[in-house]
Amino acid sequence: MGRLLPITARSLRDSWRGLLAWALGLTAALALYLPLFPSFGSNGSLEEIIATLPPELVDALGYDQIGTGSGYAQATFFGLIGFALIVIATTAWGASAIGGAEENGRLELDLAHGIGRVSYVLENALAILLKLVVFGIVIGVVVGILNGPAELGLEASGIIAAIAALAGLGALSAAAALLAGAITGRRIAGVAAGAGIAVYGYALQAVANQSEDLRWVERLSPYSWAYSEAPLESGFAWGIAAVWGVAILFTGAAALALRSRDVTG
Amino acid sequence: MTPAIELNDLRKQYGRRTALHGLTLSVTPGTVFGLIGPNGAGKTTTLRMLVDIIRPTSGTARVLGTDPRTGGAALRRRIGYVPGEFRMEGRATGRRLLDFYTSVSGPVSPGRIDHLAERLSCDLSRPVRTLSKGNKQKLGLIQAFMHEPPLLILDEPTSGLDPLMQREFLGLVHEARQNGQTVLLSSHVLSEIQQAADEVAVLSQGRIVAAGAVDELRLGAVRRIRAVLTDADPNAVRGVLAPLSTSTPPEVRAQDDRVIVHATLEGEIDPLVKALARFHVAELLIEEPDLEESVLRLYGSASTDTPTAMGGE
Repeated sequence: MGRLLPITARSLRDSWRGLLAWALGLTAALALYLPLFPSFGSNGSLEEIIATLPPELVDALGYDQIGTGSGYAQATFFGLIGFALIVIATTAWGASAIGGAEENGRLELDLAHGIGRVSYVLENALAILLKLVVFGIVIGVVVGILNGPAELGLEASGIIAAIAALAGLGALSAAAALLAGAITGRRIAGVAAGAGIAVYGYALQAVANQSEDLRWVERLSPYSWAYSEAPLESGFAWGIAAVWGVAILFTGAAALALRSRDVTG
Repeated sequence: MTPAIELNDLRKQYGRRTALHGLTLSVTPGTVFGLIGPNGAGKTTTLRMLVDIIRPTSGTARVLGTDPRTGGAALRRRIGYVPGEFRMEGRATGRRLLDFYTSVSGPVSPGRIDHLAERLSCDLSRPVRTLSKGNKQKLGLIQAFMHEPPLLILDEPTSGLDPLMQREFLGLVHEARQNGQTVLLSSHVLSEIQQAADEVAVLSQGRIVAAGAVDELRLGAVRRIRAVLTDADPNAVRGVLAPLSTSTPPEVRAQDDRVIVHATLEGEIDPLVKALARFHVAELLIEEPDLEESVLRLYGSASTDTPTAMGGE
């Protein structure tokens, strides 16, 4: 009865403007940062500047490898601005999908219709996943175009692995936001959870980079799971799969949480 | 015949607060059942449990023969539901909203949405967020009625509608009944229930305080009277009014050359009219008290443990 995946379809149709804006933002960030690499990344001038910074700051920001094309792309886009943009976008989507819908009354009406609660969560998660795929394609195409002119020397397998890692971190924040929204019915709880897990992972990774004695801390950081094996340089690593795995777990938990409680709005 | 809705000792507790103390009622298929009560009486809680938005703490519910907890999406496709507070936001137009609900709860016969929109004069081309409360409520009605479900559950369906649209709504309910659909509607407006419903249950503080056929409940029997008489002596007026069944002694006072009467009357209106007719009546106002007042007056405080059964079978 009815169309296939109606919730996913509605979510995509209602948010294509936002998706387009975010994609343009990601493209602009890539187009601003990557072409600068030849002018001060590869010739060492950026490394000179960085040498004047406190080493703790450099370690925290992951700027130690900035002299290579992959290190530069990682430190500027994948590890920092791209990460921030994607986490903000997916957190907002995840938080509004259930917590936001419950607050504005849409969830009550939706669930009074012929929609199951588990499929409600899963279809919303699928919509976010599809939007992440769009982001991944946009990033892949733009990085692919800039790779030659910006003298980054990136391999296709590295680009794909880094996109999978970045999208995984986005999916993790989205799933945490979905889960918190499904438990509490509050959008703000979703925002806190999605942003919280991103900040937590980033901060722990920064701490772990401070000294070899603290290196173990990175095992607790999803950000480190995604990036510590330098995916742009060395391709796929199991840590990336682990990030996606936790995102899937959170999504499943969100479905169970929503199924088992009263919707109040 | 299996009742369209059958609730047995349904209870709902929110933490330590009890919203519903063991509700038992049965709705015959093809009838219109009204649930009335003041705000906070437990009407919304009850209706939400029927569509599995919230779950009972104990007791059982059967909706169209199925437990809403296990009936899932398939059961809810057979129900049209208007939530108590129909809020809708977003850039999507009314038509897109309805198309979406058609895709999850349809099918909807062709032309049905436009027909309903026309009757309720609802503009479907405007973004939902720009609509007034009344127009949002119309969308709420359309999404509930459009797929002609066997059961309609309507929580305060006329809130925000102007009187003309309220009448149109009563027409929709009437037609639904003629089509054999069952309607359960809640309201805190007594006259609305009296016009629409066959049977009624009065809810107060989470309990049914009265239930039965609408005419037999005599909820409308309590009326507030205000009369202004000229050429009258206050004592004579008091004497004439004394035999009438008023809940408290009528208040009669003289002001200049007029006598002003305030009274709350129970029962028939005729003796009062005849009594007043002996004087020159300059003004006469007879009004229905609000529901809370009439419910409490007729059925005492809500602490009664056993509901007063009136009428019914």
